[in-house]
Amino acid sequence: MLDKFSYFIRRALHNMRQWPFLCTASVLTMAVALASVATFFLVVMNIQLMATKWSEDLQVVAYLDRQPGTGQLGPLLDAVKQFPEVTAVKFVTKQEAMQRFRSRLGTESNLLDGVREDILPASLELSLRPEYRNRSGIEQVVKRLETHVDSNDIHYGQDWLERFETFVAVLKIVSQALGGFLLLAALFIVSNTIKLTLFARRDELEIMTLVGATLRFIKVPFLLEGALQGLLGGVLALALLSAIFNLFLSPVIQSFWLTPAGIELIFLNFNQQLLLVTAGVMLGIFGSLSSLRKLVQI
Amino acid sequence: MVYPIFSGSPMIQLYNVSKSYQKENSALKDISVQIGKGEFVYVTGASGAGKTTFLRLLYSAERATRGQILIDGQNISRISRLKIPYLRRKIGVVFQDYKLLNSRTVYENVAFALEAQGKKRYEVSKKVYKALKEVGLEHRLQRTPLELSGGEQQRIAIARALVVDPLILLADEPSGNLDQEVALEIMELFRQANARGTTVLLATHDHSLYHRFPRRVLTLEQGRLVKDHQPETL
Repeated sequence: MLDKFSYFIRRALHNMRQWPFLCTASVLTMAVALASVATFFLVVMNIQLMATKWSEDLQVVAYLDRQPGTGQLGPLLDAVKQFPEVTAVKFVTKQEAMQRFRSRLGTESNLLDGVREDILPASLELSLRPEYRNRSGIEQVVKRLETHVDSNDIHYGQDWLERFETFVAVLKIVSQALGGFLLLAALFIVSNTIKLTLFARRDELEIMTLVGATLRFIKVPFLLEGALQGLLGGVLALALLSAIFNLFLSPVIQSFWLTPAGIELIFLNFNQQLLLVTAGVMLGIFGSLSSLRKLVQI
Repeated sequence: MVYPIFSGSPMIQLYNVSKSYQKENSALKDISVQIGKGEFVYVTGASGAGKTTFLRLLYSAERATRGQILIDGQNISRISRLKIPYLRRKIGVVFQDYKLLNSRTVYENVAFALEAQGKKRYEVSKKVYKALKEVGLEHRLQRTPLELSGGEQQRIAIARALVVDPLILLADEPSGNLDQEVALEIMELFRQANARGTTVLLATHDHSLYHRFPRRVLTLEQGRLVKDHQPETL
C-alpha cells in the first residue's frame, strides 16, 4: 500500500518534471483564476466593511416639544436606555443645541446674535446596536420612543438610510452575480487548461490502458499531479493577491473620497487564506478528474 | 469454406463473431476460429480486410457486436470494464507505429508495463534488463526512443510487450515501417517468444514473411475469414 502510494507520488513529481511547460501553464492558469476571484471578493469585503463604518454614524434624534423638567429627565433616559435596540442615549439641551449650531456656523456665527438661546428644541440622540441599524430596526425604536416622549419630529436621516440600504442590496446582488460569473469563468478556464495538458499526454494514457493498468493506477498519479499543481497555484494566487492588495488595491481604496478616514482595510484572514489554497487543490483534483473521465477509456 | 486446422487445447476461440461500426457496414462478419496454446498464426488480408479489428477484439479495445470470444477459457464478449486491465496483462501488443513514450527513456518505456501491473521495483529492474537483453538493446537503457532507429524502437516495443510474460502476443503490422532486413530481425524475436510458449498472432499483408517463416495463416477479405491454411515454404 505504502509502496504503491510512494510510487504514485514519485510518478506525479516525475511527470511534472517531464512536462515543465504543461505543468507551468496549469499552475499559472489556476493562480491567475484564483487570484482574480479572490481579488474580487477582497474588494467586496472591504466595501462592505466601509458600509458598516458608514452605518455606525446612524443615529435616531427625537426633537422634544417640551424640555423635560429635572425630575422627569432621569426616568426618561433610564427608560430609553432599556430599549433593546439602544446602546447609548444622550440628552441635548436647548442651549447645547444652540452652541452646536454656532460652532457649525463657524465664522458666520454672529448671524445668531440676538436670537434667543432657547429657540432650538431639546433632543434625545440614540445610538443603536449594529443589528438594528436598518429601516425596520429604526422604525421599531421610533415606535417605542413615541410612547415615551412628546415629539412631533423624530429624525433618523430617512432619505440617507433608504439610499444606503439600496446601495447595500445592490452591492450584494452585483457581488453575488459577478462573483458567481467570475468563479464559473475561472472553473471553465482551469478545466480547459487541464484538459489540454492531459490531451497532450493522451498517448501516455492510451499506452497505460494497453499494458493493463487499472483505472485507479492511471488516474491517481494524474489526480495527485492536479492536487500538487492546485496547491502551487493556490499559494501563488495568495502571493499575487497579497501583492495586488498592498501595491494597488489598498492605495486606491484609501484614496477613494467616500472612504471613512482612518479605516483599516482588511486582507484575507488565516481561514480564508487556507480556503483559497484548498480551493486550488480542489480545482486541480476535480479539473483533472473530469478531463480524465473523458480521456481514459478502457 | 474454412476448415479448422487446429487441434489441441485452445488459447483463443471465436464463435460467429461480427463487428460493425455502422448498421450496413461490418468490419468483421461471422468469424469462427480457434487458435491453440503456443501457436504462431498470421492474420492477413488487404488493407481494410479487418485485421486490426480482429486483433482489437482480442484485447478488448473493441467489443464484438455479435458472437463469443474466449481467451484462455475466459469469455470476454461481455467482460466488465473493470476486468479488462487484468485481461490485458495476459496479452502483449505490438503496433506498427511502436506507441512508445518519447519523453521517457528506453528503460522507463519497458518498465512502464510492469509498473502498471503494480510490480515491485527490484522485480521491475531485473525483468526490464532481461527483456531488453533478449531484444539486444540492453546497452541503450538511458536513451529516449527518438534517439534510436525504427528497428530499435520496434524492438523496445516488443520488449515492453514481452516483459510481462504474456500468454498471447498480438502484433499489428509490426514490420510495416521497417525495411526487409530489420523486419526479419523482428520476426526472429517473435519466433523466439513463440518458442518459449507464447501464442503469437501477427497481422500483416506482407506475403514474403509467411513464406519465409511458414505458419498457419488466417486470410480475411472484407471482414470474412476466407481461408485458414498452412502455406508452403518458399
